[in-house]
Amino acid sequence: MVERVLLKGNIAIAKGAIAAGCRYYFGYPITPQNDIPEYLSSELPKVGGTFIQAESEVASINMVLGASAAGARVMTSSSGPGISLMQEGMSYMAGSELPGLIVNVMRVGPGLGGIAPTQGDYFQATKGGGHGDYFNIVLAPASVQEMYDLAIKAFELSDKYRNPAMILCDAILGQMKEPVALEEAEEVTLEAKPWALDGSKGRKPQFLKTLYLSDGEQEAHNLELKEKYDRIREEEALFEGKGLGDCEIVVVAFGTVSRIVKTAIQMARKEGIKIGMIRPITLFPFPASIIRETAKKIPRIMVVEMNTGQMLEDVKLSIENGVKLGFYGRPGGGIPTPEEILKEIKVMLDEEGF
Amino acid sequence: MSSTMPMQEYISPGHMACPGCGAVLAMRYILNVLGEKTVVVIPASCWSVIDGVFPYSAVRVPLFHTAFETAASVASGIKAGLDIQGDTETTVLAFAGDGATFDIGFQALSGAAERNEDFIYVCYDNEAYMNTGVQRSSATPYGAWTTTTPVRHPKDRPKKRILEIMAAHEIPYAATASIAYPDDLSAKVKKAKGIYGTKFLHIFSPCPTGWKSKSSQIIKIARLAVHTKVFPLYEVENGFTFHINMEPKNIPVREYLKLQGRFAHLSEEDIADIQRQVDEEWEHLLKRALY
Repeated sequence: MVERVLLKGNIAIAKGAIAAGCRYYFGYPITPQNDIPEYLSSELPKVGGTFIQAESEVASINMVLGASAAGARVMTSSSGPGISLMQEGMSYMAGSELPGLIVNVMRVGPGLGGIAPTQGDYFQATKGGGHGDYFNIVLAPASVQEMYDLAIKAFELSDKYRNPAMILCDAILGQMKEPVALEEAEEVTLEAKPWALDGSKGRKPQFLKTLYLSDGEQEAHNLELKEKYDRIREEEALFEGKGLGDCEIVVVAFGTVSRIVKTAIQMARKEGIKIGMIRPITLFPFPASIIRETAKKIPRIMVVEMNTGQMLEDVKLSIENGVKLGFYGRPGGGIPTPEEILKEIKVMLDEEGF
Repeated sequence: MSSTMPMQEYISPGHMACPGCGAVLAMRYILNVLGEKTVVVIPASCWSVIDGVFPYSAVRVPLFHTAFETAASVASGIKAGLDIQGDTETTVLAFAGDGATFDIGFQALSGAAERNEDFIYVCYDNEAYMNTGVQRSSATPYGAWTTTTPVRHPKDRPKKRILEIMAAHEIPYAATASIAYPDDLSAKVKKAKGIYGTKFLHIFSPCPTGWKSKSSQIIKIARLAVHTKVFPLYEVENGFTFHINMEPKNIPVREYLKLQGRFAHLSEEDIADIQRQVDEEWEHLLKRALY
């Protein structure tokens, strides 16, 4: 039986985590994600889990690292400055190939910024973020339902590839309420983690490390990681396509903005303008091939983001020469209206002689 | 009734604090003493909102917003910057909440204190992360409700004894103060201003929003904190010399707890337990003070 309940996005993530069998949460207060720790502080103990409020985000992420090393399914959540403080720990997790979920309910920056919605952390999330040569798996929900579903998905991918996974959302997705279909809770059986550090009785001690000093050892490790990232790119890219069959122009947008773009598309259809949309659901791996293939047929692409042009670079890398590429961005907490987006699209189409 | 407090105001009306905010009174009393030759350093906290929306500010002295964990580091840097320009007159005031002091900023604070950086560090203590919606900090008292210590399992560890920790750095001056006793508070700020090195002031700043108490009762609550021995007023010079500044009236701790909704769930046993803890800590302090 599927239960439908009205939920706040942040709570949907927390519920998704519990449904996925996550029993460990370590975090530190920061707006606009506080609903997640608050909810889990009362709900995790009820299911035999552990909630710890750490003394900082540096502590939180390293508690995540520790619990993950011991084989637990574990998460943290934060925003802006807090996610920046976690970058060192995330680099260690990537280097020692430890799974774990990090939720970033983005706030504006740089610096202390503010709590308004934004997509300004795209680069940080998708290009590694900390030091070293690595990637996080990054999922970008666009509805409260997806906050729930992708929380579960993120844990699965994270364990599958032994790699940190991030949910990248913002205050609109975190704070708004929508109906969510909750799958009936099943007993989650987590796959064994034979690499975990859980005592070495009856077997040889094993190690998790990020320090490689012998000649060529680090290079070999990095190449192994690269092979993993390539496999993730090959197998895990997710996107939603809309109206791609008969459109004159394709918008690429993720998360909150994609919802606004959908309204702009409806408005345009009434005026006889056919707009399609590709919404990346995974930001790493980036769904490059669908964008490349679509652009071959419809060589006009408009990227819309709540920043000054970050995913834009990945779109540029996905397409070939001869594709007209436009961009409309609102940074620093600005939220584009459907009218603004439609106007920008019309300007681009006019330039193209449509 | 006469007051020893200076009357020049450096906080303007229209600040963005909740009604009855103790932290605003703390800043007001401090700036009254420090005056216009002051640079204020504020890490993420209620006060990063209270001073207003840029470019406006409710504080009539220069003010710098820093990352959560860095007030003491940035204050060290500003002091060095002033020194190198020959400015020995300006006071650098780091003004941080309990989260930024007891928790995330403690490393920076301890480092600065060990180096004996020349600034005044004020912790305005409202005993939780109030700006983010009342999450527990290591300044949250035993037994209190917060949004991350729900009533089913309230905080089960005592508040960190921050003043003793800071005094243990052997800094020249560390003192507690309360917004309920502005004369004592002002005298301590004046004393701190005249001393070279790291001065640490721990100021009890009730938060009606987070403590679930009436805005009209914060002064009463702050007085009761002193006279129930929950928050004694004392100072420590050079790490070892303890002076108790006000003799508590020995009021039962229940009188203090009952004015705050965050303690409403406590049983008679819990209250007796808190009374025992408070008495023990007071005895501990008395021994240090006699020493």
